[in-house]
Parts: sequence; C-alpha cells; structure tokens
Amino acid sequence: MSCSPFDLRDYFLQELADPQQRRQVESHVATCRTCHEELDRLRLTETALFSLREEEIPQRIAFVSDKVFEPSPMRRWLAGFWNSSARLGFASAAMLSVALVVFAATRPAPAPAPVPTTTATVNAAEIEQRVQAAVDKAAQAIEARYDAKTTQLVNSIRQKDLRERRLMTASFDAQGAYFERRLQASERDNRNLRGQLSQAQLGDGEGAKQ
Amino acid sequence: MIFRAVEDADLIRQAARGNVESYNLLISRWEKRVYNYLLRITANREDALDLTQDVFLKAYQNLRKLDNPERFAPWLYRIAHNEAYSMFRKRRPEADVDEMEPAGTELGITVGGSSVFPIELSLSVASALERLTPEQREAVVLKIYQGFKFEEMSEILECPVSTVKSRLYTALELLKVELAPIQARGLS
Repeated sequence: MSCSPFDLRDYFLQELADPQQRRQVESHVATCRTCHEELDRLRLTETALFSLREEEIPQRIAFVSDKVFEPSPMRRWLAGFWNSSARLGFASAAMLSVALVVFAATRPAPAPAPVPTTTATVNAAEIEQRVQAAVDKAAQAIEARYDAKTTQLVNSIRQKDLRERRLMTASFDAQGAYFERRLQASERDNRNLRGQLSQAQLGDGEGAKQ
Repeated sequence: MIFRAVEDADLIRQAARGNVESYNLLISRWEKRVYNYLLRITANREDALDLTQDVFLKAYQNLRKLDNPERFAPWLYRIAHNEAYSMFRKRRPEADVDEMEPAGTELGITVGGSSVFPIELSLSVASALERLTPEQREAVVLKIYQGFKFEEMSEILECPVSTVKSRLYTALELLKVELAPIQARGLS
C-alpha cells in the first residue's frame, strides 16, 4: 500500500493533471523507499508490456470514390451550401430581404414577413435523407457482394475437396487392384512351388526304392 | 500534435461532406492503431482486420453524427469496441459477453525482427494478458498501448471513470505479480 499523498498509479499514468500535486508526489517518492520501489515496479511492468510490439496492418484500408457514395456535384454543392452556417445565414437574410421588399411592394399590411427557414430545414433534411439512403444502399450492395464472394469461395473449396476425394478414392482403388494382382500371382507361385516340391519328393522316393 | 489534431478535424469535416480522398487520408492515419487495438482484444488477426474494415465503413456512414471532430478518437474506438463485442455476441449468443475470452491463439506476438526484447518476455506478457478478464485486458490496451485518458476510456467503454480505474488497477496488480519473475531475470 502506498503512503504517497496522491495515488502513485494516477501519477505514473499521467492522470494527475495538477502540477503541484505531481511535485508533491515526486518529492515524496524521493524520500520514501517503499513508494520509490512501487513506482519502479510500475515502470518495469509497463516496459514489459511494451515488449509486445504493434503490428503492421496486413492489408491497407481505402474506400474507392464510388458514385453511389459520392453525391452528385449539384447535391455536393447543396450539401456544402446548407452545411455552412454563414451561407445559410446569408441566404436566409437575403430571402428575408426579398420577401420584405416583395411584401412591402405588394401588400402594405403590417403582417410580418414569413421567415423561409422552414424551406431550408426541409431541403436540408431531404438531402440528409437521400444521402443516408444512398449510403445504406451502397452498404447493402457491398454486403451482398461479400456474401456472393463468400458463397463462391465456399463452393469452390467444396468442389476442390470433392475432386481430391475422388482422386484419392481412384488412387485407393488402383492400389487395391494392384495388390490383389500381386496376391494372385504370389498364390500362383506358391502353388507351382508346392507342385514342384511334391514331384521332387516323389522322384526321391522312387529312386530310393530302386 | 496540436497541428495534427487540427488537420484531423479538417479531414473529418471534408469527409462528412462526401470527400472520399480526405476520408482515405484519415484512415491511413488511424488504421494501424485501430487494428492493433482490435487485435489485442480479439487475439485473432483475421477478425481484427475484418472488424477494422467494418469500423471505418460504419464511421463513414455516421460521420455526420459526430458533433465535435476533436472527439473523433474516442468516438472511433467506441465504434470499434461495439463492433468487437457484437462479433463476440454473434459467435456465442447464449453466453454472457462479460465472461467471454478471446481465442487466445495469436495475441500479437511478433517473433524475430528487430525487437530489443527477448521472445521469452513477449510470450510471458502475452500469456499474462490472456489471463486477465476481457474488461481488464481492454482497459490495459486502451491505457497503456493506446494512451487514452480515463475520461475517454469511460466514453469508449460506456462506464464510469471509477469502473475504468478499478479494472485497470486490478489488471496492473495482476500483471506486476505475473511479470515480476521474468522482469527480475530480463529487464532490471
């Protein structure tokens, strides 16, 4: 257990933001052997953990400029326009001015001019919705492509496996036939040898009688 | 680092407006870190690569929802964390995700190369990390290997800072004990 004025682990992990607190811990560690050793152990543990190095990513990730992902120039201009608050403000102000002028010229009634923010909101929402729909559609298309590719790979592996199995079966059959032929030939040889042996024994017996 | 953060924020804004090239540049800056984070928590290179691709696709689809581009890193890691746990759930839907252990086959040990550390140490560290619970391991990965602050970790893991600290400190105690004998031989 550490007797440090602030948590040694917080100090070690750079979570002690106050410089004064850090200084207090440092001066304590300089005089307290237990805390000094504890800090050393934390440092050694961290050094040991860093022995596991970061790996390079086996395959770089990049997105192609897909037409489905990429909004049309008009849509991009609109999105850029509506996403810019300064432009949006300017447009609203301009529309408001025009509306005021038109209103003043046509109807002198004191009713306030309508603020065209509703249109802007509707357009922005519509653009957002369309972009989201296009992105969703593209994501679905990519998923479908991945699924098709996976199915294709699985089928090709299955076919390869089937071919290999057939080849192995054919090979086993050929080997079986070969060993059977060898067995038959061997049995034939045995029979011939037994015949020759019995004839030789008969010849020896007759010679002995004579 | 400040300039880099500004540039990232610019790239995020451009990518949110549909600029794919900006997004690719952003990916090139983050893909290695995200891949290594996922590799440490899944312990499988193929899974880590697939998840990294999913993470960047999902991030692209939701980039407009990111209110503050300065918070891109914890936001991206939150997606990565969710994708990894979603994969764990799909593979073992009947099991409690908290009890799950990664496959434990390839915990990112690179043998050979120009490492200044002996392979014995790397193996011991990998084995010690494997013995931690998934939550403790993830806390170590986010803090030690990825350098996040407690607050960011709390955002990524969707739990209070106190929980994050508790997981990390328990893990460090366990690692200290596990690695003490080998440290005595090799490092000190």
